[in-house]
Formats: sequence, C-alpha cells, structure tokens
Amino acid sequence: MAPIRMQDLVKKYGDLTVIPSLDLDIADHEFVVLVGPSGCGKSTLLRVLAGLENIDGGDLYIGERRVNGVPAAQRDVAMVFQDYALYPHMTVRQNMSFALEMRNMDKKEIATRVERAAKLLHIDPFLDRRPKALSGGQRQRVAMGRAIVRDPQVFLFDEPLSNLDAKLRAQVRAEIKALSQQLRTTMVFVTHDQIEAMTMADRIVVMKSGIIQQVGTPEEVYETPANQFVASFIGSPSMNFVPVTGNGQLLTTSDGRTLPGLREFAQRVPAEGSAILGVRPEHLAVVPEDEAAFLANIDLVEPLGSDTLVHFKLAGNDAIARVEPDRRPRPGEVMPLAPVPGKAHLFDPASGAIIR
Amino acid sequence: MSSLATRPSDRLVTIIDVVLLVCAGIAVLAPVAWMVLSSFKQSYEVTAYPPTIFFEPTLDNYRSLSETTPFLQFGLNSLIVTIGSTLLGLILGAPAAFVVSWTRVTWPAIVTLLARMAPGTLFLLPWYVMFRQVDMIGTYWALILTHAVITMPIVIWVLLPFFDNIPRSVFEAAQVDGCSPLRIFWKIALPLVASGLAVSSILAFVFSWNYFLFALVLSNSDTKTLIAASFNFIGEGSTNWGGLMAAATLIALPPLILAVIVQRWLISGLTLGAVKG
Repeated sequence: MAPIRMQDLVKKYGDLTVIPSLDLDIADHEFVVLVGPSGCGKSTLLRVLAGLENIDGGDLYIGERRVNGVPAAQRDVAMVFQDYALYPHMTVRQNMSFALEMRNMDKKEIATRVERAAKLLHIDPFLDRRPKALSGGQRQRVAMGRAIVRDPQVFLFDEPLSNLDAKLRAQVRAEIKALSQQLRTTMVFVTHDQIEAMTMADRIVVMKSGIIQQVGTPEEVYETPANQFVASFIGSPSMNFVPVTGNGQLLTTSDGRTLPGLREFAQRVPAEGSAILGVRPEHLAVVPEDEAAFLANIDLVEPLGSDTLVHFKLAGNDAIARVEPDRRPRPGEVMPLAPVPGKAHLFDPASGAIIR
Repeated sequence: MSSLATRPSDRLVTIIDVVLLVCAGIAVLAPVAWMVLSSFKQSYEVTAYPPTIFFEPTLDNYRSLSETTPFLQFGLNSLIVTIGSTLLGLILGAPAAFVVSWTRVTWPAIVTLLARMAPGTLFLLPWYVMFRQVDMIGTYWALILTHAVITMPIVIWVLLPFFDNIPRSVFEAAQVDGCSPLRIFWKIALPLVASGLAVSSILAFVFSWNYFLFALVLSNSDTKTLIAASFNFIGEGSTNWGGLMAAATLIALPPLILAVIVQRWLISGLTLGAVKG
C-alpha cells in the first residue's frame, strides 16, 4: 500500500552495468508487470526493490521513504520467489507465521491472520504439513500466503508461475489477478511470459538490456508498440516483419513485390528510404486476390481449434497469419492476404523506433 | 538392465569388487579383532607366536586397569576435554562455515584446513611456552582450546557443503521476512544442517578423543586423558600388552557407541521440499 519511485537507478555487478539508468513510478495499488527476455534486468530490478541487491546510483523510494541503504528486513515488502523458497523444516503454519513472529506480533493476531490467508488461498487443510508433503501448486500458494499474512506495503513476485504446469499456471494467474483486486496492494510482478504480462497487469513495463522500452497498459503496448522490440516481444505468435523500401507512393518488398493498400504508410517512408513493416498474424486478413497485398505460399498449417496459424515466407522472411479455422488451408496452396487497415506498423530499420 | 548386469565381464567386475571389499575389511578389522581378543588374554599369550585363537578368556587386564590406574578419572578427563573441544569447535566452526558459504570467501576456511593439516608438533612448543606463561599447563582449558584446532576445521569443512546445499532463495526469503543475519543463521540455517551438525560432532568428537600429542605435553596427572594415560603401559623395558589392549578397547568404545546412537541423524534430505520438487 505504497507507491514506488525509481529515479536514475543504476545497478552494476562489478564492471558489468545491468541497469544503466532507470526511471519508473509505480502508483499505489497498481499491478505492474516487468517483462522482457532473460537477462534484461527485470529480476535484478525486483531484487533491488526487495533490498536483496544494493543500488550503485540514483534513488529508490517506497512510499515517502528513501530506501537506498535500507536492508530487506526493514523494507516492509513481501516477495514470492520463483522456487517458492519455503522453509523446509517448518510446517505451512510456521512458514506463514515466521515473518510475523520476527516482528513480535501478538500470537493470537498471528493465528487469525494465518487462518484467514490460508482460507483465502484454500490451503487451510495443509497448515500442519511440511513443504515436502505438498504439490508444486500448493507450495506456490503457501509462498503467496506467507506474503499475504504480512499485509506489506509492496508485493513482489519473481516469476512465481514458471514452475507450474500449463493448466495450473492459467488457474493461478487468474487467482493472483483476483487476489490483487481483493488486496489492493501495490504489486510488482516479474515474468518473461508476455501472456502473463498481458492478462494480469494494470501497466506493463517492457525491458531490454536494463533499459525500459515502453511503459503502458496491456492495450497500449499491444496496439501501439514504441519500437520493433516491444512489437516483437508482445503478442503471440510474434509480429511479422518485412523490410520494405518506399518511393513516396508505394512500398516495395526486397523481392520486388509492391504492396498496394498501404498508401498511407508509403508516404511516411521517404523516397528511396527503407523501413520495416510489421503486421501481427491476427491482423492479416484473407482477401480477394485482386486486393491482396501478398500472395502467401503456405508452408505449414497449425490448427489451434479456435483459429488456424498459417506459416509462409514473406520476402524471404518467416511469417505467420492467423485465419479462421473454417478456411481449412492446406500446405502448398496460395492464400491472398492483406494487412487489416490501421493495424500495421512501420519501424525505422536502424533504430527500431516506430515511424508514425 | 538385468541382461547387462549378467554379462561375463560385469560378473568379473563384481567378483573383483567383492574380493577387494573383503581385503579391505580384513585390513580394517584384523587389528581391531586382535586388540579386542588380546585384551582378554594373559600377557604372555598376547605376544605368543603363532597367535592363539582359542584361549581361556580372562578379565584380569580390565581388573588391573581399575586397580592400578585412576582409569575412571582419565575417562572423565577425556570426556571433559573432548566434549568441551567439540562444543567449542561447533560454536566457532558452525557460524564460520555459514559465513564462508554465504559470502563465498573461502580463504579463512582454507587457513583452518592448513592449520589442521600441519603437524601437531609445530604448535606444541609455542603453545607450551604460551600456556606456561599464563600458568595454564595441566588445566582442562589448555586441552580444550588446543583440541579446538582439531575440531573446528572438521566442523567447518563438514558443514560447508551442507550450508552450500541450502537454496540461497531460502535465506533471501528470510531476509525479506525480517530476519537479521544472526537470526537467519539460528532459525533457518542451523535447523537445516542438523544432520551435518551430527556428522561433524561425531567426527570432531572422535578426532579429539583420539588425539594424543597435545594431552601428552599440556596435561598433568590430574587432567591426563585416556589416550595419553594408556601410553604409560608402554614401559622402557617391557610393555604390558594385555593392559594396553584392554585400555585401547575401552577407549575405542565411546566413539563407537556415539556413532550408533546418532546414526538416525546421519540421514540427509531435510532440505528436500524447500524449493520446487
């Protein structure tokens, strides 16, 4: 129940700068998801927030308090670890009580809080078991329960779902989201899974090499990515990219095909200039052949039930289109496709920044 | 799998294994058997050649132990020194091992190992002079302190892998939960290395119990340990082999009994379930 403010935050490991300079404000009660590929600094940032890592520059505030040198034990943050990090020699009840005992809380109050959190998470039947006797999903809940009982200012989650199987993951994902709405606590959630980010976040922070690429609501980062990296990272399957050149009137792919129907784009690319055209698989529509932007030679078909993924080559690049399953495309067939108007993006080939 | 195991070459390997194990067993157990058997023989029989296997057992050696020497007092001395130095080794070594594991700064542990590996005679003269100056020769403390040089490195090096095996995130969770480093050590780390503590205690006990040199020089007739006292059976002209063997048998008993009692602690696996299964 506190906002977080990071100002010009720097984190180094020896000579290696993991986070060069980072500014981020997280509002009170906000559910923020830090997302990015492995090594992008998202977990490091979370550990910095927890107080498990020192800061090498800048300032960090939790609430009104500057916590730069404050040890983890005194920050009033709770963290759910990727491997759960339960205390193996303690029962579930002891695991959940431990932090409260460290704060010399009244025994009755501890018992009440543990019971309440256990009910909330449906782990009350296991309170007297050791972690060893629990399944992965149950351990995950205990780890969350351990955080909840503390009623901390900030909740931190370090990829807590990555050790669960797919079905359980979807379930716990929904539960965490529901929990966040119930608890109204500031939550920071780290994941490399963009689906988790999209489904849970109030705001998503996309990171790469320790630098924030974009901060925005799930809709914003999906609809208006700030650059090619964000565009490729958010969305599954990933956005299709194809290098194009422009003459002020028409866009031409590297294999010489012109792309009609993208005139509004063509004007943004300077004559003889080049750009990267990006279109999401779900924004490629099957159209009559004379309106087609590309004729896709289908290489591979992946039926998903709800829709079908069609793999093809677009000017030598791998591309995917998401089409209705009723079309029953077959490999070897030719499918006329065009970007849905207003849903394609242009990126600068050098910087990757979006061209508006 | 079973068809592989019964291949002739594998069977040969199994046979060689068994033979080697039997040889090793004989090498280890023969002196022990000789010691125990000899303790029940008359002195002249001990040195008989060829050794007698069937003989009239006698308790004379044990009887004379208690009659001619303050054997119980020596035993008590040994217990005080051994338990004292084992405890001291644990008190110093367990936190040291935790810190070495936590910080990954290993040189202090290596220094203790070097001290352990150095010959005891290296320490003997300086210690003798030092303890003489503070008038501690012949005290239990002189023996307990010096035996900690034996016990502490054992504790550190036995516990180190146990601490290393605890997932770091468990300590970090404790930090976030509000634990000071001292509390993490006491409430989280120590309970999780309970089996390591048992193993290191036994080893420290055995090595301290059996250590001969320091007690020989730094004790007096009141504080002499069993192992140093048994040296008295070796005379200049003749050796009382029967008495020596009876003493040796009794000396060997406590570590043996201890190991049997704490055997159930020697199972590891307490850390299972800490993290993903």
